[in-house]
This record gives sequence, C-alpha cells and structure tokens, in this order.
Amino acid sequence: MKYKISVDTGGTFTDVVIAKEEGSLVVGKALTTPDNVFSGFSEALENAASSFNASMQDVLLETSVLIYGTTRSTNAIVTSSAAKTALLVTDGFPDTLTYRHGGKRDPLNLKMEFPQPYIPRRLTEEIIERINSEGGVETPLDKDQASKIIKSLSSKDIEAIAVSFLWSIMNPSHELQMAELIEKILPGIPYTLSHQINPIIREFPRTSSTAIDASLKPLMQKHFIELESELRAAGYEGEILVSTSSGGIKHVSDVIEKPIFTVKSGPAMAPLAGIAYAEAENLGNDVIIVDTGGTTFDVSLIRSGEIKYTRDTWLNGEWIGHNLGLSSVDIRSVGAGGGSIAWIDSGGLLRVGPDSAGADPGPACYGKGGTKPTVTDASVVLGYIDPDHFLGGRMSLDTQAAKSVINDAATQLNMGLEETAAGILEIAGEQMIKAIQEITIQDGVNPAESILVAGGGAAGLNILPIANSLGCSKILLPKTAGALSACGGHYSDIVSEYSASRYSATDNFDFQGVAEIFDELNSKLDAEQTSLKKRGVSKFTKEFFVEARYLNQQWEMEFKLPLSEIKNSQDVESVIEEFHNVHFRRYAVKEEGGIIECINWKGRLIAEMDKPPHVRGDEDRESDSAPDREVSAFFSSHGKCKTPVYLGSKLPIGTEISGPAIIEEPTTTVVIYPDTSAHVTTSGHYLLTS
Amino acid sequence: MLSPVQISIMSNRMDSVCREMTNTMLLTARSSVLGVARDFSVSIVTSDDEVLAAAEGFPIHVWGSNLQTASMRKNHPEFKEGDAYLHNDPYDGNSHAADHTVLVPVFYEGEHFFTTAVKAHQADTGNSLPTTYMAQAADVYHEGSLIFPAVKVQEDYKDNEDIIRMCKRRIRIPDQWYGDYLAAIGAARIGERSLKKFVEKYGKETVRSFIKEWLDYSERRCIDAIKKLPKGRLEANQSHDPIEPWVPEGIPVNVKIDIDPDEATVTVDLRDNIDCIDAGLNLTEATSTMAAAHGVLACLGNDLPTNSGIMRRINIQLRTNCVVGIPKFPHSCSVATTNLTDIIVNVTQSSFAELGEGEGYAHGNYCNTAAAGVASGNDWRRGGEPYVNQIFLMGGGGPASSETDGMHYLFIPVTAGLMYRDSVEVDEQRFPILVRKMGLMEDSCGHGRRRGGQGTEVIMGPRKDPIHILHVCNGLESAPIGVRGGTGSKLGGNVRIDKEGKEHPYPAVMVCDLEEGELLRARDQGGGGYGPPAEREPERVLRDVENYVVSEETARSVYGVAIKGSRLDDNLAIDLEETEKLRSKMSV
Repeated sequence: MKYKISVDTGGTFTDVVIAKEEGSLVVGKALTTPDNVFSGFSEALENAASSFNASMQDVLLETSVLIYGTTRSTNAIVTSSAAKTALLVTDGFPDTLTYRHGGKRDPLNLKMEFPQPYIPRRLTEEIIERINSEGGVETPLDKDQASKIIKSLSSKDIEAIAVSFLWSIMNPSHELQMAELIEKILPGIPYTLSHQINPIIREFPRTSSTAIDASLKPLMQKHFIELESELRAAGYEGEILVSTSSGGIKHVSDVIEKPIFTVKSGPAMAPLAGIAYAEAENLGNDVIIVDTGGTTFDVSLIRSGEIKYTRDTWLNGEWIGHNLGLSSVDIRSVGAGGGSIAWIDSGGLLRVGPDSAGADPGPACYGKGGTKPTVTDASVVLGYIDPDHFLGGRMSLDTQAAKSVINDAATQLNMGLEETAAGILEIAGEQMIKAIQEITIQDGVNPAESILVAGGGAAGLNILPIANSLGCSKILLPKTAGALSACGGHYSDIVSEYSASRYSATDNFDFQGVAEIFDELNSKLDAEQTSLKKRGVSKFTKEFFVEARYLNQQWEMEFKLPLSEIKNSQDVESVIEEFHNVHFRRYAVKEEGGIIECINWKGRLIAEMDKPPHVRGDEDRESDSAPDREVSAFFSSHGKCKTPVYLGSKLPIGTEISGPAIIEEPTTTVVIYPDTSAHVTTSGHYLLTS
Repeated sequence: MLSPVQISIMSNRMDSVCREMTNTMLLTARSSVLGVARDFSVSIVTSDDEVLAAAEGFPIHVWGSNLQTASMRKNHPEFKEGDAYLHNDPYDGNSHAADHTVLVPVFYEGEHFFTTAVKAHQADTGNSLPTTYMAQAADVYHEGSLIFPAVKVQEDYKDNEDIIRMCKRRIRIPDQWYGDYLAAIGAARIGERSLKKFVEKYGKETVRSFIKEWLDYSERRCIDAIKKLPKGRLEANQSHDPIEPWVPEGIPVNVKIDIDPDEATVTVDLRDNIDCIDAGLNLTEATSTMAAAHGVLACLGNDLPTNSGIMRRINIQLRTNCVVGIPKFPHSCSVATTNLTDIIVNVTQSSFAELGEGEGYAHGNYCNTAAAGVASGNDWRRGGEPYVNQIFLMGGGGPASSETDGMHYLFIPVTAGLMYRDSVEVDEQRFPILVRKMGLMEDSCGHGRRRGGQGTEVIMGPRKDPIHILHVCNGLESAPIGVRGGTGSKLGGNVRIDKEGKEHPYPAVMVCDLEEGELLRARDQGGGGYGPPAEREPERVLRDVENYVVSEETARSVYGVAIKGSRLDDNLAIDLEETEKLRSKMSV
C-alpha cells in the first residue's frame, strides 16, 4: 500500500494530509460541508491528490489506513443539538448539572447569562436508591419506581438515557440493574452508565461525562455509519480509525460505543505532530505546541515526551458551561487570531479581542464589508502579508481598506500608522503569551527550556517576538503548519484508557484493594490488546497513572506511576517519592514525610502504529535560494525595511535566511524579524532562532 | 511617557504573575476553605502601599492588602530581602483573624519595588471554639485566635521555627494549617521570583513609570464609568437578624451613597451606624471599605482593573468604634468578612437600582446556612481521628439584574459566585456524614421581569459518630428584596430533625450537635427579582415551569402566564389566550 490518509474536519476547513510511501506529507484543504461530511472531505482529498497528479479514487484504492478526526460531536454539544436525553440520578440530587462545581469568572459581573445545564431539569428523574462512600447500600434500588420512570420516558420521545448514581464507583450494582431495566423496558435505546464511562470520584464531572456520552450516541453512530458506507462506496477497503480527545486513535467501532472520546479530538492531535517533528529534528522532547487559527489560539504541552492531560475540559465556558470530565489532552484556547478586532478602551489603551471579525465580514482587507481593524489588517499594513499572494494568490486583499481602518485607530492613539499596526500584533501576541504561560506555569515548565512548534495559518506572523518574550530561543515551524492537527494523525497510536476509583492512603496502604483495581485495569487492557493483535498490531506499551494528593489536599494531581503494580511497602515508597518530585516540580513545594492519598487509577494501552519517516519529499523540485521579490515591511525596532520574500517550496535544504525576510508557503507565511534567522531543515521545515 | 502598547503589555505581565500565584495556592492548598471555596486572594502592592494588581478573588479580601503592607513597613522599618511577614491583625489592616496573610517584600538591586500579598482563610486559627466565624465572641480574648500583627515569619527565606511551633501548638489540625501556610508562602515566593524578572526585563525606570501610568489609566477608566451614571443621593437600610442573647434587637445597617458624575466620584457613608458590639460581627477597616466598594463597582460595569487607581474615585467614609467601620480594640471581628458585609453589598447594589432602569441589582441570598458551617468531630472510619473543616454545600440565589436572571450558586453576596461547592462524594469520604438531599427549591426565588436565582435545600446527618457544626447566619427574619417592581424571596432556615421527625429550628448563631439518626435541614434563599413580573416574557416563564423553578400556580398568579399541556408527555406550552386575559387583568 502506498498511502496513509489523515483527515481533520474543522469548523471552517477540512484538512487532508496524505502520507506518501517515502514519508512526505501532502496537504489538501476544502471548506467543511456540515450537511454531508463526505463531500468536503472528498474535495480536500482531491485537492491533495491533484498536487501529485492522482485522483481521489487512485489514492483511496492504495490506502490501508485512514484516520478521521471530526468536530461533529463538539459542535453538537456547543449548539445543544445532540439527542434528547434523559438523566436518571440518585433521589435527592436532581441539580448536579446545574450546580456544576460552582464558581465563575469576574466577581464584579452579575449580569451574566448562565448556560442551561447540559440536560435540563425537566428531563432529569430521581431514582430511589443510595450507596454510601464505602460501597454499602443505604437504600436499595426501588425497581418498581425505576421501571415506572423508564416507561414514562417513551411518551417524552427520549432518544438516549444517562444513568449516574452517587458512589456507583464503589458499588455499581444499582446502575447495572438500571441497565437491565432499560434494556427490558425500552430495548434498543442507547444509554450510558456513569461507572462505565468515567469511574472517578466527584459526582459532577462523572455525571457530566455520562450525560454528554449518552446524548452523542444516536448522532455519532449515524455519522460514523454514513461515513463508512460512503468511503466503502468510493472504493476504500482499508481500516478506519478515529482520533480521540486523549490524543490517540481508536477503531471506529470503539468510538461508536463511547462517542464522548471524539469531543475536542481535532486539537488533541496537534501535539502529536509537534513532538514528532521536534524529535525528528533532534530538538528534544519538551515541546510547546501552538496552533493559530482565524479566531482562536490553542496551546498544548509536552513534557519529557509526555502529553499534558487535564480533567478540566469545558465547552461553552469554563466553570459555567459543560464539563467533559474525562482525562483529555490539555488545550488552552484564547480568542486571538487573524480576525481578532483591535479597539481603544475608555482609558486610552489599545486592546485586541476577544471580539473577532470571523469569516464574515472578516478583516477589512477581505473587502467584504469589515469596518474594524483586525490582526490580519495590521499584518497587511506592516507588509507581512502580501495582498497579491494571500493563500497562494487564491484571494486578493484590499490594502487601502486595511490602511484606512488601522489609520482610524492610529488617529485615536495619536500614533503612526505602522506603529499602531505593530502594536496590534504585539498585543495580540500578549494574549498568546498569556495562554502559553498559563499552561506551562501550571506544570512547572520553563518555556525558555522548551522548543516551540508553531502551526496554523497565522502562526508565522508573530511567533518570533512571542518566543522572544518567553525566552524561548528555538521555534520549529513545519512546512505543513497549516494542517497541524491532520498531520498529528499520522504520528498517532491507538490509545485505550480505563480508570477506576479506589481510595488508599500511603500510611495504611490498601494493598489488596489496589491489587484488585490493577487486576481490573489489566484485564480490560489485555482484552483490548488481544483484539488489537487480531487486527495485526504487534507493538504494545502499558502505562499506569494515579491521581493523588497530600492528606486533605483539595485537588488531586495525576502522574505516571514508575511501576506497573504496587505489592509491597517498597513500591509504595517509590510512588511517594515520585509524587513529591512531581509536586515540587509543578508547585515549588513538597512536604517531606507527608501522607499521600491515592484516589483514581488509570491504565493506558498504547498500540504502536507505523509512522511515516521524516523526509522532505520534494527534492526533485527546482531549488532556488534567491528571493522571489522584495517588499517594504515595518518592524518596531527598525522601522521600514526592504524585505526579501522567498518562496518556501523552492528553498534548498540547509538554506540560512537572516531577518528581515518573509517566507511564503501555500498555507502559511513566516515573518523573519530583524536579528532573527531561519534555517531550512533536512525535512524541509523552518527552524527559527530568536 | 510609555506608549499605550507598552502599558498594555506590562499590565498583562502583572496579571500573569497574579495568576501564577493563584494557581500555586489553589492547587497546593489543604483545607477545603482554600482549595474548594477559593477563600484566598493574591495581590501585588507597590512600595508606597498602592494595590497595583490583584488576581480574581473576593473583592472583600483583595484590596485590604495595601493597609497590611503599610502595617509591615511601620512595624519593621528595616524589612529586607528574604523576609516574609505573617499578618492577621484585624485592628491594623487585615480582614479578620482567620485570614492569615503572608507578605513578601520584593527587592531589585537592593531597592524595594513591590510586596506580594497572599491572604488565605484558615480552617482554624486557634479560637476558643472550633470555628473561624465566632459570632458569640464578646471580645478578642474570648475569640481566642492567635493574632499576628505583621510578625516576621521568614528571614533569609527560612521559617522562624518559633512562630511555626506556636501555631502548631494552638491551631487545631496543625498539619492542615502548616500545609496551607506552605501553600501561601509558595505562592508569595513565586510572585517574588516573577516580579524580580519583571524589573530586570524592563528596567527600574520603566517599571516606575509603568506603576504611575497604570494607576492613572485605571483611574481614567473609573472616571469614565462614573460619568455615565445619573446623579443621585441614595439612602437605604437593612437589619441583620437578632443575635441572641448578644444583640437581641438585631443590627441595623444604614448606607448613604452620593453619586456625582460631574466630579466623577461615588461616596459611600457608613458613619451613621451603631457603635461596635460585644459580639463577633464587627467589621474591620478593610472589610467595611471593600464591602461598600464591591457594591459600587458591581454597578459600574465590569472590566475595570482591580487596583488602587479606581479606588481614587470611590470614597468610603468610616467612623472609629462603629460596627460597620473601624473596630475599636478589643471588640471581636471574627465574622468581619460575611453577614454585615453581605448587607452592605446588597443594599448598595439595590440602591443603585433607584437611579433608573438598567442600573443596580436586587438582593442576593443572606442565609449562610449550617451546611456551610465549620464541622468538627471524630471519624470512626479512621480510627477516631479528629477533623475540623468548613463544609460548602450551599447554592444561594443570586440577584436579578435588569438583563439577566440571578445565578443559582451565588453563595452569599460577598463571594459573588466565585466559590466552588463541595462534591457530595468528596464530603462523604472526608467527613462521616450522609447527605440525603441537595437541590434547588421550587418557587424559592424573587420574581420579576428578571427573576432571582433559586434557593437550595440540603439535608444531611452524621454516620455513627456525632458531628458538631458551628456557624452564624442571617436571613432567618429578613429576605432578599426585589427592585423596580420585582418581588423579594423567602426566609431561610436551619432545622434539626430529631429521631422522631420533630423539627427544632436553630437561631442565627448555630451550635449544631447531631447524633446518628438526626438530620440537619438547611435552606438558603433565592435572590430578589428585577422589574415587574408581568413584563417577563411568557417563554421564560414556560421554561421556568418546565424546570421546576416556578410552579404553574405561581406562573399564573404572579406572572399572569397560563400553562397548558402535560409534563408526562413533555409538551407544556403557553396558553396564549388565557395568558392574554390574565395579563390584561394585571395591567389594570
């Protein structure tokens, strides 16, 4: 087989990346078609295939693995368009999804609309039952009452059911009995049980995961079945794998069972590309990955080769929106991108965002009626974006419109046109710096000791000054920066995770209880491994994690266990030592001799996939290290400079370019600021030095 | 003169230092007061005692730090690099004795530039009773808390072990206290490290200009916000419930507000109030000031920078030896952060509503229930090990504004919705209790074009070992009011339900001793409504009926909205004809 395909269906664009046999990656883009996912996908695939004179059909017939990422589930949550779902909870606790964890931003703002709970109270039913914190039954499940309630759901046109009882993580019998009743009374209706989808302590995140998962089942099952049949009809016979929120991939049949894993899966793939590129260039394995789109800037983090995860992923607003509850790749987003609008506040300061001109009307320079200055307009004024060569010349920009809106701001600020434009870029950069600092600070990472991998169409405009502010001296800008998430698919493995909850303090360690948990996790991971072996996967790694805290500390910290079982006091000692070390690294304090409470346990199976080798792939092209043309660009430190513009596809490997200069790639533009430089690496990426 | 771009950039850096400090505190704290309830604050104070930047936190907490750095400088003129000071003195700038504040002066090339302040509410501070809100304290001696009037707790970055040992001897669950102390020191030192880098990067001169220009800029923003308000003199009052037997007549609170858009000032006068009382509810200078400022700022529109620059335009007039002013030693201020401060915030916000449509808010929940009290006892599951910690199982309806319904988890006005609530499962793992119920109550909110948030009911009891809960609440005799035609909500209450099912109400100062088989039922209050209920869109009323916020009966009688259809078939709808009739009657 010659090809491997990775697809990332975003909100606006569908990116396709084809890996050719020798390892080179070819990018194709098309507009996403929400009504029929396959048409946008096939157009992007045609677009990519055409660049090596092949057709979609040719490529599909010669492909054995296709990795599919979708925002479908994310969009369904954000727009409240998932299935009509009933939530069944323990009697006395109908409002868990309304209370959430409590908390909000901005103490002085009480004029806030709070999003409705993910499942409204009117579709929430209380079931008589109660388990206590040790798993004992305080109130047995009232099956008659439960049956009546399940029956009553049919007249409400309920399409899915979520069941989340208190302490089901300690004793799942009541939830399991509910499953039997549901299958008996409403056979065929999809349902999710909380102890199965996310067996962690804390009723809110667990209930939230359960509700989200159940609500996605009808929709995502249909989505994947349709996609698969269209692909088969197009002649594709290989495997279909789906990217997940944990930064791995799964077989389509597995995500149909647990569709919550597809939520926010697109951005979760970007760090995989980041680490693959950084390692291939021998730049180490502490990586910060940034992805700049039109409206948002996403940051993720890799520390010593390990992706940073979080259980605190929110949709529709931190704390007030919907919590995913699952351990997923930690991605910080800020509203800063090419479309972010610059404005001047009542105290006379220049601000950028959070409002965005979006795609319509878009920045003023798009000439579609935008009247407010944006980051893109500023970049045109500065000469960083060539109005005649935007998106490889597919769209021409209105320089006058850009100048006019920037000039309005400049007049108010009493600053020059170019100074104002540079200020807009700098302040947009501040938002990005803030996002990078938030994620690195929380993990005790010093950005200066990390490599920055920059993706997204707008990343190259200001990544060098951002890196400079962070003290980060090396930046890798992949030539495929415009499709970083889709590239990540090519470097992904099949990842399966299972969690279990068992309290155990280190001063009185529950060896038997924890051994049971390890047995449970191992048996699930082993079953997974057996089924993957049948599909031809042969390389596996198992990892175990624990969420633990110092005695009475309020929040748990997840870390990887240095061993795969805990059977004696020596093992406990090594867990304790690792906890102290990680705690010290992240929070600059540790409590020697402190007791540690272990709460949630997680096992992960990584099934390694073949990955494309790192090659440039276009060596046969004409090489030309001379600039294509020269433009006048403005830099705060140097004023207007004559700036050469290079075409990235022509630059030979090993080329060194000193700033000021601009490199144009079909899907991204790299601005090399004065006193910085770029080097074309052997894989054809750009290594920037600030 | 710095450019507007540079000021923006440097202020962002200040914010990120605050966030770094907050994050350290939040994630390393031990007691639920900190890690869950976020009852802590961090700020950066200039060398001349102006608050330059503060992380998001309870306003009541945040801006007193300038008084505390002044106290540090006064008491330790020789303060130097490597020092850290422990400050919880309610008579010299702190909020209340339970808030231990760590102050770290930040030097660059031997010059004092900033002080980082981390203030954190402790689970215990050695009071004579196991609570940090001791309403029954006749004076500071009775209260019993250890008081640290800017005491040097670190020198050369090392603890003064004498102080640590003193605390460990007198504070219940010493390891919990020490863990929280370490978290606060860690946060203050992380701030110190980053601020040094900040000065190194920008240079001393630029940093000095930045401080001046940033505070001036903030003042300009505040001027602009005040100039948009109508001119007005407002006066309002509200009483705190009686505190038997100490203040049987209750505590009246008068607030006078003068809004002068021409001069761009807002003045709040709290001087016309009773003298300090012989109970723990007296406010401190910091909390009187900040409660009034909180009420004003919430009405000024959001997005104002939180620093001393905006406070130049807000004058708070206080009197010494006043219950809502500057306390006279040795009156106790154990409960200085809640209760009377909640009244000041509510009354200030609702007064603004008199200025006109769109201004101000209704009242939020007053009732700080026993389900948010300080619990202590022994846990049979851990071999009888003792525990003391605050529980946070409350909702607390928020006030309606002109545009939005109130939130359901405001908690109380001073916490402004920022607090997390406890997870029921985590509480049951941590304390030997079983929670029977935690839910929103139907028809508990004040009504209006925009309604208040709902009140919450919690029912819980001990498992085997008895539990002891101490707390002080308000709202047993006073309910949040509505504004501009909106209605008020209902009274809250705390009740012991004995083994026979008989109910025994608790007074405002609660000493709850519950044995196995007994239950505590705690009900907080909904928020008040804004605007006439008859103006509420019928679609919103329908959604409220569907979701058990208001009953069909209330929809009809209060809102004039008739509902038809069946809950069982999930097809409730507005009966348009009937609604039109009902509403036309209401308008007559």
